[in-house]
Amino acid sequence: MRAVVVIGLVACVGLLLQSTLLHDLAPIAIVPDILLVLCVYLGLNHHSIGGALGTFLLGYFQDSASGSPTGLNACGMLIVFVIVYLTCRRLWVDNVVSKLVLVFLASLVKTTTVIVLLALVVSSGSAVSSIPAHVLAQSALTSLVAPPVFWLLANTGIRSNRESE
Amino acid sequence: MSALSLLLLSVLLLSYSVRSRPYRDPLAGAVLVGFSPLLGAAQWVSRSVSDAWYGYLFLVGAQRENLHLRSRVATLEAEMVRLAELEQSNRRLAELLRFRALVDGPVRGARVVGRDPLALFRSFVIDLGRPDDMRPGLAVVAPGGVVGRVTDVSGVASRVMLLTDNDSGIDAIVQRSRAPGIVQGARDGGCQMNYLERDVDVVAGDRVVTSGLDGIFPKGLLIGTIAEIALEHRGLLLSARLVPSVDLDELEEVLVVDATVGFDEPPS
Repeated sequence: MRAVVVIGLVACVGLLLQSTLLHDLAPIAIVPDILLVLCVYLGLNHHSIGGALGTFLLGYFQDSASGSPTGLNACGMLIVFVIVYLTCRRLWVDNVVSKLVLVFLASLVKTTTVIVLLALVVSSGSAVSSIPAHVLAQSALTSLVAPPVFWLLANTGIRSNRESE
Repeated sequence: MSALSLLLLSVLLLSYSVRSRPYRDPLAGAVLVGFSPLLGAAQWVSRSVSDAWYGYLFLVGAQRENLHLRSRVATLEAEMVRLAELEQSNRRLAELLRFRALVDGPVRGARVVGRDPLALFRSFVIDLGRPDDMRPGLAVVAPGGVVGRVTDVSGVASRVMLLTDNDSGIDAIVQRSRAPGIVQGARDGGCQMNYLERDVDVVAGDRVVTSGLDGIFPKGLLIGTIAEIALEHRGLLLSARLVPSVDLDELEEVLVVDATVGFDEPPS
């Protein structure tokens, strides 16, 4: 229950930040995807139906608040969750650098997923063609935001499934 | 398995939301409605912070621009002073050149580089010396008329004794009546024309020019204007106080003229 509240609060704050404050203050038109960092956190630490549901809800809320078609970010988040889950079962992802790299790659995966889904379902070719220029910058920015978010979650006393196992 | 089910659900939601209008999903609509006040508040905070931040940046930029413009104004003012100085110098030199055309023979332009600080001797120093063929006795003139004569010459400069010096003496005539006399320096810093005969026709306002007889100054060069006439030497001779035609305190450039050259007398 504590984990749900903490992650929910961080998700709300992250959503507010990336929807408003960071948009207004950022000198460039790129903002970090804080919810994706939470998604990676869930994929790393909560290997349960709760983790998957939390990831889905993160994407769902993002879709609801951002005005994108419902399910777009939810689908991207879930794919990231599955890939992170599979990765951390096979690779040792426990230090800052490996987590940075993982968030960077996860951001690439999510953006690619969103682009592919947009191309398949929405067929907005012009929007898709302008996205790749920002993908790398946004992924790098998101990976830079990841360490403080991970630190915050690690210091709130949330007990992960991995620790339980 | 649960993740795959949710993935399938999200794809179905996506498909549904794309086919229908956005926010038709009632739950998504409710989430948006519930989130709107928070978004509004966050937007207000964000705008305030953003406005304050960019306002501060604007002020910093304005201050920087202000400093730059102040520096630019100072530079332009210095340039303006320099150009005004050049313009005045150009006007003086042009006048000097016009005057030089009236003089036959060797004439050299010179710059006044120093003055006697104690004013015990009415003299100044010019930037021509022995290598410039300077020698004592050469006449020094300006576009307005007589200035003085060279007394000392060194390797790089020469001293000019002004016509107002006590030791100065210039053979002169009254231009209108041709009455002869000697122009000498006066004790009060001006000059006077001495040794005028008592019965000569001289009135205040008459112009006095060089006679050319002293072998120093060319004939007909304006010295000054008579301001006042008085009897001297027990009433035997007249003495006239002169106002020099040249402002000797303001001179910056002069001409050094050889005594042997002729000079066209200016029209009366």
